[in-house]
Amino acid sequence: MRSKESLLSALLSYIRDVCMGAWSITESCLTAFPYVFRWGDLRKEVTEGYPDPVSSKTADDLPPRSRGLLFNDIDRCTGCKECQTICPSACIHIEEEPGADISKIWVSIFDIDFSQCIFCGLCVEVCQPASLVHTRQYEGAAYHLTDLVASFGRGQVTEEQRAKWAALRQAIESSEVSST
Amino acid sequence: MNLESFWVVSWVNSIGFLSGLPEWCYAAISLLCIFFFVLIPSLVFIVFFDRKLSADLQARVGPNRAGPAGVLQPIADLLKLLQKDTRSPWGWIESLWISIHSMVLYSSLAVIPLGSLALLLDTEMSAFLPFWSALVLALGTILLGLSQGTVAGWFGGIRVAAQALSGAFPALISLLCTGVRAGGFRWTVLAGSQGFAPWSWTVASNPFQAIAFLVFVMSGLVLLGIAPLEGGQSMSDIHGGVATHLSGRRLVLFRFGRFYGFFCWSVISVVLFLGAWNLPLQFRELLVRAELYPLIGFFELVCLLMKTFCLMMVIVWIARVNPRSRVDQITDFTWKVLSPFSLSALVGAGIWAGWRAFL
Amino acid sequence: MTIVLKKMNSIDESVENNLTQWEIGPYHSSLPAPIKLSLLMDGEVVSHCSLETGFLHRGLEKVFELHSWRSSIAYVDHLDPEAAVFGELALCLGVEEIAGLAVPSRAQHIRIILAELTRVSSHLIYMVRMARVVGSETIIHYLLRDRERILDLFELLAGARFSLNFLRFGGVCADVTEGFIERVLEVCEVIRIRLKEYNDLFTFNHGFLKRTAFVAPLTSSLIRECGVTGPNARASGFSFDVRKDSPYTGYDQVDFDVPLGRGEGGSLGDVHDRFLIRLREISQSMEILKQLSETVPSGEYINSEVEKGYAIPSGEAYVRVESSRGLLGCHVVSDGSSQPARIQFRTPTVAHLMVIPKLVTGIRIEDLPVLLASLDLGIAEADR
Repeated sequence: MRSKESLLSALLSYIRDVCMGAWSITESCLTAFPYVFRWGDLRKEVTEGYPDPVSSKTADDLPPRSRGLLFNDIDRCTGCKECQTICPSACIHIEEEPGADISKIWVSIFDIDFSQCIFCGLCVEVCQPASLVHTRQYEGAAYHLTDLVASFGRGQVTEEQRAKWAALRQAIESSEVSST
Repeated sequence: MNLESFWVVSWVNSIGFLSGLPEWCYAAISLLCIFFFVLIPSLVFIVFFDRKLSADLQARVGPNRAGPAGVLQPIADLLKLLQKDTRSPWGWIESLWISIHSMVLYSSLAVIPLGSLALLLDTEMSAFLPFWSALVLALGTILLGLSQGTVAGWFGGIRVAAQALSGAFPALISLLCTGVRAGGFRWTVLAGSQGFAPWSWTVASNPFQAIAFLVFVMSGLVLLGIAPLEGGQSMSDIHGGVATHLSGRRLVLFRFGRFYGFFCWSVISVVLFLGAWNLPLQFRELLVRAELYPLIGFFELVCLLMKTFCLMMVIVWIARVNPRSRVDQITDFTWKVLSPFSLSALVGAGIWAGWRAFL
Repeated sequence: MTIVLKKMNSIDESVENNLTQWEIGPYHSSLPAPIKLSLLMDGEVVSHCSLETGFLHRGLEKVFELHSWRSSIAYVDHLDPEAAVFGELALCLGVEEIAGLAVPSRAQHIRIILAELTRVSSHLIYMVRMARVVGSETIIHYLLRDRERILDLFELLAGARFSLNFLRFGGVCADVTEGFIERVLEVCEVIRIRLKEYNDLFTFNHGFLKRTAFVAPLTSSLIRECGVTGPNARASGFSFDVRKDSPYTGYDQVDFDVPLGRGEGGSLGDVHDRFLIRLREISQSMEILKQLSETVPSGEYINSEVEKGYAIPSGEAYVRVESSRGLLGCHVVSDGSSQPARIQFRTPTVAHLMVIPKLVTGIRIEDLPVLLASLDLGIAEADR
């Protein structure tokens, strides 16, 4: 049997529990209520329309170090393959051959497979001539997996050109030899 | 059924070749009218405002693409869901669920108190009839859960059963409170005991009625399993419970049934406690003098629906902000909190009414 | 309710015992991560649970051995994508110990700022998961909005939002960008205001308390038995924090407290305590961030020796850092070549996974997702 006091205290704690519940529900509701009317700077809606040229962010709003899709300036690229070596996901594929000049290397294929790229930025970091850069473009969706491969190479060399360049190189070499 | 005074009769009779139809045809036509011109628009309206209010509370924008400010979003959703294929052919328990579902939808339409315009049937026990509907709706939901043959579905079904049982008791008791004040359970009697002004509503007449109102609304949420008191549809542990396997048209049907329960319960709460469909007295007299009887019915319906929507929005507000309860806590809450409060409200309301009678 | 059960192989056996069998996972809405639970339930009460993991195994530790030292930092980001910096930090500390590289104090400051920002963002995600399982929708959006600010900070500093790849052996990759420190302070201020809002809205909400208080308290014997660390252990009053006990990368210069669970909601170490401890840790991290942001020393951001050459001598080291989930240990072995010989991690989530079958027994099925979310499982780092 419960004593009279404990019954009273049980009743009181029961009523307090109910009141506390009612109050906390009300408090939660009131905390969220100002959001309906967007009161204050901290209660603005955060949704940004996309694609929406007026309200949404564009590529220009990205921070300076933002790592977007990669771009290789093939005119500056020396074909050193540093990026291919460091790439953790092996998404850079480079093929090259000697060009018309001894100092020039013809980068025939420079493919970056964005379906494998993890955008870690290591390749950009190691690029000595700074030809490989992150662009500000981030919209890379494509319908086919093959569309995600970006090609920056100069293209395959035909047999005639290869022979011609070999001859040119030989000419330069021989002229160098003769000059020395 | 006093069909003579019902607006559908004169309306149908005015179309020459249709005059002189049997009574049940008029009833069926009016039910269809209520369904398509009151219920479906309310559904669209509530779904839209539910989404907008939730978005506003959550610092989002909400639907904004379909139509101006996204008003056509519910219709777009509906069309999308309707064209989806069903997962599997109907089983017999699912067919049973569908038939019970439709039975509830169409039968209880006749007793929803939607103002004098749409009040088809009014009996001495009108106020109790929706309980039957709610309980049968719960039965349908239980069957739906059990029909899925998964653990989640079983749990969902059994939780719905537990909730419906525990919610019905306080709801009935708090319904008695308002009957004690009005002196009957006819919709017209319940509405007639109140006025347009908030201080003439049942809820404001004495503190016991206020308690009864809160109990009635909350126990309705438990009975029908509406957020935040839905255990049978809990998303986190039984991933939807009774509705786990529903998609496309079946999901539309299920959602519509849930909405229908929610809507009916809010309408009944408004009729019982929040001044029913009463218009301001002068305004009503003005219309009566001008002999614009259909307009009276129309304004009554608008007045009732406005209050209902406000009530539903408050419930949505609470549901979005607060965590969902566990099913054993819900049943605990109804048996240990709502039931004692409703009983004390009944005693208090009875004493209050008796005391007023002696004065 | 604890029934000692022999392993049941057939459904018939569980039917004989009036138990329900339920296999949850590996992909299920009540699970925070891909794990598989085989439950035996007596009604709605779980009476037996066995756990299966490894669905997110990517062979990460083997991958390290196939790549150069420099690429390994890009990989270690994927140890725990939600809190990438801790893995980077552990690896860098280990390599620096082998190579004897000194880290400039500016770099150390930047590292701690990053680590604490990551801790806050990871704890915010933890709160999102808690809110989701108890069905509180509104606060989820508030939390994600505030986490977004931290991710913006990461993007401003490193250019990426999750996999930062920012730390380097001997320092950090680049100096802080203009306005970064000011924005850190600004975010601190905003989140401090928000914490009050979270408390009003959610933490002490009656419904949330009812769902979480007294649920699955983690006893101190279980903590010792399974090796639970981090906030989960501290919620049970188990004072262990690597930042305090054996300070690394300059945590000894920072003045901060280690909050401990007090059992305010219900019993000590229950789900609510585990939630509260994260809230307190967020405010402590705010303190640390504020102290550090005001006193960032000038100087180099990376050890100048590193720029010249990249040779890691042979040797091995074991370092510990306090990640947002607990004690993260990193064992680095170098044989002097250009590739790591072995990099091995001791991740806190493994211990948390071992606790699950013991904690789950005897709770209601509706509390199961709450319990799982409250343990802050980073399954990516456990399966790795």
